[in-house]
Amino acid sequence: MSKYAYFPGCSLASSSMEYDTSFRLVAREFGIELQELDDWNCCGASPAPHHWVEVLGVLLAARNLHIAGAGEAPLVAPCAGCYNRLKHAQYKLERNQELRRQTSEVLGEEVRYQTEVLNIVKMLNREIKPGALAERARERLAGVRLAPYYGCLLVRPAEVIGYDDPRDPKKMEPLLRATGAEVPHFALKSECCGSYMGLARKEIVLRASHRIIEAAVAAGIDALVTACPLCQQNLDLRQGQINRAFGTSFRLPVLYFSQAIGLALGASPEELGIDSLAVEPDVDRWLKGAA
Amino acid sequence: MADAGKGHACGVRRRGRDDEIKLVGFLCNWCSYAGADMAGTSRLAQPAALRIVRVPCSGRVDPLLVMKAFQEGADGVLVSGCHPGDCHYNEGNYYARRRLELLKRMLPYYGVEPERFHYTWVSASEGGRWAEVVAEFTAAVEPLGKLHYAGGAPAAAAGEEDGDG
Amino acid sequence: MRIGVFVCQCGTNIAATVDTEAVAEAAMSMRDVYHAESIQYSCSDPGQRQVIAAAHQHRLDRVVIAACSPRMHETTFQRAVIQAGINPFMLEMVNIREQCSWIHEDREVATTKAIDLVAAGVARVRGQVPLKRGRVPVVGEALVVGGGIAGIQAALDIADAGMPVTLVEREPTIGGNMARLDKTFPTLDCSSCILTPRMVELKHHENIRLMVSSEVTAVRGYIGNFEVDIRKKATCVDEEKCTGCRICEEKCPSRAPDEFNAGVGESKAISIAFPQAVPLVAALRKEHCRQFIKGKCGVCKKVCPADAVDYEQEDELHTEKFGAIIVATGYRLFDWEGAYPDYGGGLYPDVITSLQYERMLSASGPTGGHIVRPSDGREPRDIVFLSCVGSRAESVGRPFCCNVGCMYIAKQAIQTREHLPDSRCYVFYMDVRACGKGYEEVYRRAQVEAGAVYLRGRVGKIYPRGDKLVVMGTDTLIGDQVEIETDLVVLAVGFAAAEGAGELARRLNIAYDGYQFFTESHPKLRPVETTTGGIFLAGACQGPKDIPASVAQASAAAAKAIRLLSREDLETSPMVAEVNHMRCIGCFKCAEVCPYNAIEKQKLHDGRTVAVIIESLCQGCGLCNVACPPQVISLRGYTDNQLISEVVEVLR
Ligand SMILES: Cc1cc2nc3c(=O)[nH]c(=O)nc-3n(C[C@H](O)[C@H](O)[C@H](O)COP(=O)(O)OP(=O)(O)OC[C@H]3O[C@@H](n4cnc5c(N)ncnc54)[C@H](O)[C@@H]3O)c2cc1C
Repeated sequence: MSKYAYFPGCSLASSSMEYDTSFRLVAREFGIELQELDDWNCCGASPAPHHWVEVLGVLLAARNLHIAGAGEAPLVAPCAGCYNRLKHAQYKLERNQELRRQTSEVLGEEVRYQTEVLNIVKMLNREIKPGALAERARERLAGVRLAPYYGCLLVRPAEVIGYDDPRDPKKMEPLLRATGAEVPHFALKSECCGSYMGLARKEIVLRASHRIIEAAVAAGIDALVTACPLCQQNLDLRQGQINRAFGTSFRLPVLYFSQAIGLALGASPEELGIDSLAVEPDVDRWLKGAA
Repeated sequence: MADAGKGHACGVRRRGRDDEIKLVGFLCNWCSYAGADMAGTSRLAQPAALRIVRVPCSGRVDPLLVMKAFQEGADGVLVSGCHPGDCHYNEGNYYARRRLELLKRMLPYYGVEPERFHYTWVSASEGGRWAEVVAEFTAAVEPLGKLHYAGGAPAAAAGEEDGDG
Repeated sequence: MRIGVFVCQCGTNIAATVDTEAVAEAAMSMRDVYHAESIQYSCSDPGQRQVIAAAHQHRLDRVVIAACSPRMHETTFQRAVIQAGINPFMLEMVNIREQCSWIHEDREVATTKAIDLVAAGVARVRGQVPLKRGRVPVVGEALVVGGGIAGIQAALDIADAGMPVTLVEREPTIGGNMARLDKTFPTLDCSSCILTPRMVELKHHENIRLMVSSEVTAVRGYIGNFEVDIRKKATCVDEEKCTGCRICEEKCPSRAPDEFNAGVGESKAISIAFPQAVPLVAALRKEHCRQFIKGKCGVCKKVCPADAVDYEQEDELHTEKFGAIIVATGYRLFDWEGAYPDYGGGLYPDVITSLQYERMLSASGPTGGHIVRPSDGREPRDIVFLSCVGSRAESVGRPFCCNVGCMYIAKQAIQTREHLPDSRCYVFYMDVRACGKGYEEVYRRAQVEAGAVYLRGRVGKIYPRGDKLVVMGTDTLIGDQVEIETDLVVLAVGFAAAEGAGELARRLNIAYDGYQFFTESHPKLRPVETTTGGIFLAGACQGPKDIPASVAQASAAAAKAIRLLSREDLETSPMVAEVNHMRCIGCFKCAEVCPYNAIEKQKLHDGRTVAVIIESLCQGCGLCNVACPPQVISLRGYTDNQLISEVVEVLR
């Protein structure tokens, strides 16, 4: 049985609990052991790295790496934002001795930062063979058009992340296809959703997210699939705001990657927290369509 | 060459201080020799221990010639040719690379530290690179000091040296 | 043996750090040196006369000049010693400037080193023997590879000078990329109106032999004497009989991609690329033909009124001799699809290349000169041009400029306005490069007369919205993002070398860069020569170029070839390898390493088979000298003994 240290991060522990629930469910189904990181803390999210004192942008994430470094298991961070921060911290510590010294000083011991850090897509691709998923999914989602939406943080900057093609990411596709769903080309799969600008400059988020939803609807997509709580929020929770701002009436569900896989495994929308999405998909119709 | 000629010996050691190292460099005419010229044209200062011998191609450098240089008192030998793929004679430097790599590995068996021998590629446009090569190689050999090579290169290596030696 | 040593002061270039008097004095005590002096400027006329006079006075038979690099003035001093009655190969130059005075500061150190080097030079020249240059006759015919505008121009120039030329073109017709263009900047005259007459002239020129559907498969020999294998591919059509009536094409049931039209429209398995093709002869592509795929059809053979179709036709192999070769294989567009997923990577039919657009603009093209959207055949109203797709793009590994994109976008924008007066053109650009004569004017016309809107910035994404395309980019001048909903996107895709360019370069033994463009011998002073004597470059095969530059380079290459072909013979270097036949054991290890196939077997009277060097082929690399097990091959000018004596001297 594979074992991972699990870093939920703040989103999965609060606003995106359904991501946590569905991720744990998928892990359980495939016999993957998730050991929640002991006494983890916020990764620093968007504010910390923007501070001019460089070490502050690294410290919070580094502490989590340090804790994970005590064990053997690789670290999985399903939130694309957390994942991105952890990778950045690792990248900087690797290359900057002074930063390493400062971090170690704060931690009170030599920082351990070399634990392997995985995002959810990389981890599930490693653990689940598409064939194995397909066997269990038995075409459950056949006819449903699920398009992966990667956003920015999961794959960029390529130099730091080093996973998937930064301009044309594709790594969600094999497992999504194994659910039986149709996976159409989605031109805006790695376009920015507006990210954390939602608080300071809401109109930027509305414009950017509107574009993505509009393009997805135009492409006849039934739901977007993402691995980022912030993207999910902007596209799902703010869809009402978008509709009001642009006079549209979109109702495009935005699922988490783990929710899509969970559905294929036969879990109910409730078990996966799909019922708590702002735009709820008509899962019954999806499943009936396939049957 | 049986010319009686003017029989002055040039056996007088020219170099005063015996602790100075002496290096020999075999440079191909087309790339590295031109690169060394370019370093000069750019006035790039270099250590003076190296003496350059021009050859048409790095592939002309017989490993035995390198051994001969050690036998004659060289403390280090450098060979430089065109970059792989850029040989003026298409493939001469590939032969050089094979032979010289082998030689480098054999040197310890002759009692010569492998650091005393280096082969590299410098193009006609890499004057700066050439100056670096000379500086690096000199710095690599200097700490080893003088080589007291007892000989041991096969006799054939010597060819038939003419004159008064 | 009487050697003279001349130590040049080169003004202060050498004398400032090397004590030239001391060097001359030291030289006097070297073996066989009968005269040594320091000269202020040895390469000057008085300096040379001083050398000649001293040679006479001291009856010198060998000369050592310690001065600048032999790469600088060896020929100068060779000429000088000839005047003194000394064989030019009895001169040795010692480099005490570039490799001594200019790189050392300490006078004592530099002087010691100079003495060492002079001693080595003296030792080396003592081992030298008088050599004589050989002569080889020059074959008076040129080969031109590639029949685009550059190849055509070069072939015509040489032929007009009265020399025979063979032009080898891979496709069934000549014309190259220019034949696909509608109008040409800067004057916007019709491409085929200026190209077709030249193509026809070439075909009928008495001094030109045209070989189409042909490729160079091997090249042997050297300047003045190349031996080239040419394979003429079977096209299943007898060139002599075909009248170009195109009935076969009309009746042919097998569809095939239309490469000439850059994929706009379709072609047939047997076809003539375009109405002005030269030669106007059909060619059959077996890979698309039902007769060859299914084994039965025979329609073209049946309908051909001239009985020119022959399914049994086989490839022909020719071996020809040439004195000079001009390479003019041109370019193709960079394969953009894989590199630009952001632009749909080929997924959207209404995102096309500039060459496809060019074919649409052409009255004789697949759309009859109508600009239409490939997706639905409708006329576009808004058209967005993107410059620098696969040029000036580090991110896709194509850092260089395509040299023509800015200009043909302006041209195409002007033409678009003429074709579709109500259309609107937008141009995303990085910088507009309009540096040629009359070019800026074309750019201004595009803006002012054709009303094209120029936006400075790159496009990040193209995606479909309904039946339109959304182009998302930045306008770096206003510092904001822009979004344009458009009907058609035209990508100005950068240049790549012709398919197989690298392979051809290896056959020709010429250098090429990381993008497989052929490398000129010197970027400024030898722009049409290659590093291999007798092979010249013309046109876009050497780097992205427009037509005026291609034609100019072609004429320059032709001039070089004519200069070579007009000579009866060439001098060869005598610094070649030599075999001591008495001791050769006939193992032929030497022949295995020789890059020039310059070593032959020869049977002697005593029954032994030994190696002999073909002096006209040997280039003097010395590989055989090292490879020879009994050490009986020696490279003249660089014999083992010479090199050893140099080593001994510098280490003394
Ligand atoms: C869209 C577009 C518009 C343009 N508009 C203009 C314009 O308006 N004005 C202007 O000045 N320039 C323009 N150009 C540039 C112009 O096309 C080139 O400058 C010109 O075609 C270069 O000519 P060339 O003979 O060097 O190469 P090419 O035209 O590419 O000809 C090369 C020939 O060699 C042949 N060949 C290739 N490999 C081999 C081989 N191994 N053996 C035998 N034959 C071989 C090819 O089949 C081809 O016939 C434009 C380019 C593009 C892409």
